[in-house]
Amino acid sequence: MTAVAALTERLVRVALRDFDLLIGIATPVATLLGLNAALRHIIDTGTMSYADYVLPAIIVQAMLLGAVTTAERAAWEQSSGFTIRLRAQPVSELAPMTARMLYCLIRGALALAAAVATAHLLGFRLTGGITNTTGFVVLPLILTLALSLGADATGTWLRRSGAGQLLLIPQLILVLASTGLAPADSFPEWIQPFVRHQPVSQITGTLRGLATGNAAVSDLVITAAWCVGLLVALGSIAVRMQRRPR
Amino acid sequence: MSTDLPTSRSAATASVVLAERILTHWRRHPLVPLQSLLLPALLLVTYHLMVSRSMVRLTGADNLGALVSMCTVAGAMMGSIGAGFQIPVDRDNGLLGRFWVQPVRRGSFLAAILLAEAARTAMAGSLILLLGMAFGLRFEGGWLAVIPFLLIPVALIAVFATIVTMVAVHPRSTSMLTVLGAVSIGMAFCTGGVAPVELFPGWLQPAIAVQPLTHVVDAMQALAGGELAGKSLLMSAAWLLGLAVLFAPLAARGYRRAAESGGCG
Repeated sequence: MTAVAALTERLVRVALRDFDLLIGIATPVATLLGLNAALRHIIDTGTMSYADYVLPAIIVQAMLLGAVTTAERAAWEQSSGFTIRLRAQPVSELAPMTARMLYCLIRGALALAAAVATAHLLGFRLTGGITNTTGFVVLPLILTLALSLGADATGTWLRRSGAGQLLLIPQLILVLASTGLAPADSFPEWIQPFVRHQPVSQITGTLRGLATGNAAVSDLVITAAWCVGLLVALGSIAVRMQRRPR
Repeated sequence: MSTDLPTSRSAATASVVLAERILTHWRRHPLVPLQSLLLPALLLVTYHLMVSRSMVRLTGADNLGALVSMCTVAGAMMGSIGAGFQIPVDRDNGLLGRFWVQPVRRGSFLAAILLAEAARTAMAGSLILLLGMAFGLRFEGGWLAVIPFLLIPVALIAVFATIVTMVAVHPRSTSMLTVLGAVSIGMAFCTGGVAPVELFPGWLQPAIAVQPLTHVVDAMQALAGGELAGKSLLMSAAWLLGLAVLFAPLAARGYRRAAESGGCG
């Protein structure tokens, strides 16, 4: 356990030096303020204020971006020979990955807190009680953990920095073409089925429900299934990738 | 023994050859061109799908001209940042130092970077413009406006690349490049491309009105709309000229220092 703690501390120190942690916190704050400034008069979200409407998408976006940076970190630890040198130490072969995941959770929790604090200034309140609020906090963290495991496997496999940049592309499509930033009616008819049913729409919809305390149970089950399913599937790939002989 | 100094003609040839080297590198490792083309193209498509209906309902127009301009500018700038990450690598493995001792005008190295960046921007800009036209963007004032429409981002990137180079040759530049990237993308989004400027909150308006990218996007949008881009074009030119005068000597000096550092960074 001390190895994991030391490796995590190392990641946090690096992240403070190369501003990754700062960027992780500043990005959701800036996107929330920016989108709210630019779009609150343009997108019609009914009785809900635009800041309330868009917050879940900002959170999901921050979780996705956290995962993207993991790919970069995993690739760097491969290509720099760091992982291979650790193999000569009496350290579990899963320790470096566990440390990367812990860092990801720290980054995710800070980003989540920053996003909610900013939204609070814009009038957002968590009104769903303790159970719903717990769900509102835990779901995004499971999501970022699951996606970070996938990104970690990708970075470990590619062993080249720049891997994260390519993961930005699917992330951009999923967030922009979802009901996270604008209700499905705002999109042209032909793309609405995709917009309504893709995972980011599903998760942001559930988070919106959890914030106000009226999430439908079926919604909650589908979202939890997505997050846990991704966690198990990507987690097993990531573990296998770490144990791969080379 | 011949001691011919490099002539200006050979300097031009050297710049072209060195620019070709960068372009070849991008062909083999297409991360930078992919980044500078795919990300803005996807941003254009998804954002247009998301807001065009609401925008038409609200303002009567879909703001496509400004959106295409913004995506071209933002994509080109992201590409420059991506390319900038290669400079510290080339410095640390000694490539810059080895080039520096060749009988080539020293200015050719910076010129080559600007040339390659300009070529990449023109190429990506044309493709993004084609995509915009597929969504219904038309040059109302005749297709000749396409040429200045594409030349504006090229000029912008030539100037931006000097700023990126100046930052990239700094001893510990990667995190500074990341910050520069975040700031420039933020500035690109604070223009008329995301939403008509009147719809931004009042406290942000003065900042939007002042910053250079607003004028650049406005000038491009005006060209697409067949309007006279006079004022915004002049403002863009003044900004770009001012930034070039300020940053080109700094970039040249930083590049010299990096090349003469012997690769120990």
